[in-house]
Amino acid sequence: MNDSLKEQLTSVFTDVKVFIPEEDRIVITVEKEAVLSVLSFLKNHGYSHLGLISCVDWIEEKKLELVYILSAYMQEDESYHDKERTTIILKTKISREKSEFLSVTPIFVNAEPYEREIHELYGIHFDGHNRLTPLFLERKYETPPFRKDFDTRKYVQDVFDNIPFVEKKAENK
Amino acid sequence: MRELELYFGPQHLGMVGNFSITLQVEGDRILKATANPGYLHRGFEKLMELRSWIKNYPMVCRINVVEPDSMEMVYAMGVEKLAGHEVPERAHYVRSIYLELARVGSHLFGLWAYANMLGFDTVAQWAMYHRDLVLDLFEELTGGRVYHIYICPGGVRRDFPEGFKDKIVHTLHSIGGCVPDYNDTFFHNRLFCDRAQGIGTVTREEAIAMGGTGQVLRATGMKYDIRRVEPYAAYDKVPWEVPTRENGDAYSRIMVIRDEMIESVHMIFKLLDAMPEGDVYNRIPNPIKWTIPPGEAYVRCESSRGELGLYMVSNGEDKPYRVHFRTPSYSHGLTVLESALQNASVADVGNIMISLYVVAPEIDR
Repeated sequence: MNDSLKEQLTSVFTDVKVFIPEEDRIVITVEKEAVLSVLSFLKNHGYSHLGLISCVDWIEEKKLELVYILSAYMQEDESYHDKERTTIILKTKISREKSEFLSVTPIFVNAEPYEREIHELYGIHFDGHNRLTPLFLERKYETPPFRKDFDTRKYVQDVFDNIPFVEKKAENK
Repeated sequence: MRELELYFGPQHLGMVGNFSITLQVEGDRILKATANPGYLHRGFEKLMELRSWIKNYPMVCRINVVEPDSMEMVYAMGVEKLAGHEVPERAHYVRSIYLELARVGSHLFGLWAYANMLGFDTVAQWAMYHRDLVLDLFEELTGGRVYHIYICPGGVRRDFPEGFKDKIVHTLHSIGGCVPDYNDTFFHNRLFCDRAQGIGTVTREEAIAMGGTGQVLRATGMKYDIRRVEPYAAYDKVPWEVPTRENGDAYSRIMVIRDEMIESVHMIFKLLDAMPEGDVYNRIPNPIKWTIPPGEAYVRCESSRGELGLYMVSNGEDKPYRVHFRTPSYSHGLTVLESALQNASVADVGNIMISLYVVAPEIDR
């Protein structure tokens, strides 16, 4: 079944690489222009559950990789099929310096918080997302904190070591 | 009528956990709800990139305070998949029993939260006491009450101590004997039914569109359960049922939780009977120098709240390159909750939130 999906994908789209590493997993690598059309193609073929949007910082290649994980809900109420077992991992790489991408919220409603999180932690701007407000963090960061060049130890020393002790403050008063 | 902005949480009697919701209200009706997570953001996923594979075991369980065990399981599944490490047959059974005990404990904790919030103090105390009995079992098995760090790569840390099987059976019988009492005082109590029926309805179409899993989906009649869809551990070795309800409201969700607890207890008895003898642990290489070949893996399991997934990337070093958890409360608490609260009454906010089974540490990570 996964092989037939592979054939369909490669016949419809030109710049798509499909790889089946094991039973129940399909890894699809696409160019960034084709992501939205491949995602809606997969959604129309029953893979309508967007499990996760993740991001990996490949600092040596100077690329950020966006990862969309899709699976299928149940086709029938009572019986289980191979299709629900299958997980699709769709990956695309974008530039690290000019980190912009298109939002997939028109296709998947639940992509909204995931994209907000990636915007905040990796500094990717999603065009078409109408609510890119901070989700978790309180402070502003020069480097987005989940990128590989963010030095956690240095940040902690810079920020928290400079907070004066409470007793000393009281003495000064 | 005048529009008002109300802050619900993080300090609020109806709020369980460090989470808050901003409500736009007109009179008693909610026009718009905005979920504000972030009170517990500890950056676990970044911290895990700085620690070796084995050192991450005591960290993953702390992501979800209420049910740490499925976190351990999903991380172990990911590491084993990347490293190609096998698990002995008996360890699969031990893991399943351990995870089902955790599910019972977590559901009892959820029952405590729900009953307590609606003012059923007696039921809440019972649930807390029964959870404590489950924690006693964990204490004997692992040494810890809340965080157990019991599942490790290649199996589990130790086998059941002597006489432990009988203790499990005894404890579960004494909890199961109270199910009629729970039914009379809570689940079939008219006071509770009136508060929960028809509240916070999420239809199947809405649940599917918004990435719902777990009880949110099963309360609409779909038997979607990762233990069935993609069986792991020993869940395909014994027969069991996926409980469902049809209406998709708060009452259906809490009834699914009740049925799941009962089903878990039955499943534990079946697993205890079918459990083979043998080792519970396959040795891994020296854990301090342990490196895992480059690759990526997505694994998933069914936590007590829904689909728990883990996307993990290794670049061949002794640490993970990237770890990302897909937690069920993330979609439920940020997408489903905001839509379920629209047009609801202010008095039902806590009710809807707890019935969606949202747990804040899981959202923030």
